[in-house]
Amino acid sequence: MGLFGMMAISTSALSAERERAEVTSANLANAETTHTQNGGPYVRKEVVFSAANASPFQTVFNGMGSDDEPAGSVSISQVVNDTTPPVMRYEPGNPDADAKGYVAYPAINPVSEMVDLMDATRAYQLNASAISAAKQMVQESLDILKTT
Amino acid sequence: MATNLLQLLQGYLQVTTDRQQIVAANMANVDTPGYQTRDVNFQQAMEQVMNPGDDGPQLAPASLNVEGLPERPDGNNVNIDRESMVLSETQLQYQLGVQLIKEQFHELLTAIKE
Repeated sequence: MGLFGMMAISTSALSAERERAEVTSANLANAETTHTQNGGPYVRKEVVFSAANASPFQTVFNGMGSDDEPAGSVSISQVVNDTTPPVMRYEPGNPDADAKGYVAYPAINPVSEMVDLMDATRAYQLNASAISAAKQMVQESLDILKTT
Repeated sequence: MATNLLQLLQGYLQVTTDRQQIVAANMANVDTPGYQTRDVNFQQAMEQVMNPGDDGPQLAPASLNVEGLPERPDGNNVNIDRESMVLSETQLQYQLGVQLIKEQFHELLTAIKE
């Protein structure tokens, strides 16, 4: 696999973190959404990361055959709904209010979403720097050819 | 002589590349619940690379779980600072290996020219 395998691993992390940032932004954007296609308020989404945790044999096998999903790469296995019940606010004038005048708002805390977003950004930066390290190493090994 | 040293340096580059890949995997899984930090056992990996024919080819890199890192509540113990440090360290080691190989070729070239 070598250095390009390393790049593939870091790239898998980049796309996973980007998807996480997307989901978090959607949560932030819909923090006040009381009306969705399925009826009811927007439901907060959360991503689940999982490692392509290969056994030694599988590691070898991956190295020999295809070059997709190298051992150690990460992917988003599923996007789950947060089961926290919606927050009820008394707004009798709202068209989405129930018979008692309460409106169901999604249970989204903008602060925790922002922290999540920052976490995703930092992880993205970390993996981007790993990619540039791999790039530099490839560049250096090319320099061997230039020896005269 | 020169070829022996070149082989050794090639093995060194191979091991540093393996280590770099494991570091990349650690960094990629910084948010994966239950993921444990891995690292290369340098000595064992170097021996594997240098003596491939002893007891059949050894295919898996000599990697091990790193002990003693504080674990987060989700079972993940990746430490970003440690990984960044190892990343730079491995990068410099790789640079060293490349420089030494270049030096070997340079010597060879000098011997041809003189």
